[in-house]
Amino acid sequence: MIHIDIHKKLHGSNGNMNLDVNLTINEGDFLALAGQSGSGKTTLLRILAGLEISNGTLKIGDEIWQDEKFSLAPQKRGIGFVFQDYALFPNMTVEENLHFVNKDKALAKHLLELTELSSLKNRVPTTLSGGQKQRVSLCRALMNRPKILLMDEPLSALDPTMRTKLQNEISTLHKEFGTTTIMVSHDPSEIYRLASRVVVLNQGKIISDGTPKEVLLKTSGSQKFSFDGELLDIVKVDVIYVAIVAIGQQLVEVVVDDTQAKSLIIGDSVTISTKAFAPIILPHEK
Amino acid sequence: MSHIKAIITQIDTVDNLNIVKFDFYGYSLKMMSLGLTDDITVGKEVILGIKPTHIAIGKGFSGLVSYSNQIKAKIISCEKGKLLSSLKLSVEDVVLESIITLESTIAMDLKVDDDVTMMIKASELSILKVL
Repeated sequence: MIHIDIHKKLHGSNGNMNLDVNLTINEGDFLALAGQSGSGKTTLLRILAGLEISNGTLKIGDEIWQDEKFSLAPQKRGIGFVFQDYALFPNMTVEENLHFVNKDKALAKHLLELTELSSLKNRVPTTLSGGQKQRVSLCRALMNRPKILLMDEPLSALDPTMRTKLQNEISTLHKEFGTTTIMVSHDPSEIYRLASRVVVLNQGKIISDGTPKEVLLKTSGSQKFSFDGELLDIVKVDVIYVAIVAIGQQLVEVVVDDTQAKSLIIGDSVTISTKAFAPIILPHEK
Repeated sequence: MSHIKAIITQIDTVDNLNIVKFDFYGYSLKMMSLGLTDDITVGKEVILGIKPTHIAIGKGFSGLVSYSNQIKAKIISCEKGKLLSSLKLSVEDVVLESIITLESTIAMDLKVDDDVTMMIKASELSILKVL
């Protein structure tokens, strides 16, 4: 079991706030940490890694990493850290980046094979694509067989295809190494695919904790297909009214009746929902 | 969206799928739904929602049809457009709207004061609010 009970005063962009996190995680779990920017997610990862000071206790299995009078040095904690911007050593080859952590050549070879990087082992990071750099960073984080793998939005800089590919590799590595993984992510599909548990932080406090489906499925009553948007216009066509709503990067149209057409105000935030039975799914042509 | 108040009388569940039955002025209504929230239980009063485009109309109807929800109503207004018509239907103290094609309205000779049957599929009825 991993017991986290930490407190820290933060000076964020929205003024001061207290980070108060009390969390118990089963070993081997894949936990996603979600929440708006400035909610304390990255700070929590840095506290776990020993890169920031906080009050409280950190207990990993029977090892104490932090209590009132003691804090274990970052390099002594069994942590692997994957950053959004890769943070590779630019003057070292792929293989040297891995060996810097640990001289276990067999493990490095195995990791590079698993992530299809073997042929690139003598290249330096500047000659690699974003997806390749992040795979190197992931391999490097696993070189010391960490108890906890920490990932701070590891895939947010990558394109969707590369993201799916790396999600699969992360999932394989998480299972093979039996590590406990904590990943900061904003992407619902990534959280659903990878995590068994999601914790949502807001203003330094946990506001939601459950399975990805419990936390992320947006419902309204018995409506399971639900999106938030902005009402742009209502147009009368024949005897019906059509509302135009912006959802994300797209516009959608919804037929509304006359009473609703009269009560809705252009510019309002609205929720569009329908039952799970109505929508149809069309795969995109490849 | 037309709203009606009803009481939950029965919930049948298989895995994540449910059929919820309601009482609405003596009519037994049925709704298909995936996972229900914890507050949806037998005996609760709820507001049900139906889109006007999901209400079909029968007149002088006999025979069998698979619409799980059939409610007798009276037409209280009939607005004809160029392609569609909007019917306002009254059941007890509730008014619902049905949008159908103008062609159907003409073919069925639908007019104010007609007694008709509203038909709604169980998949198209939804709980908007638990009271």
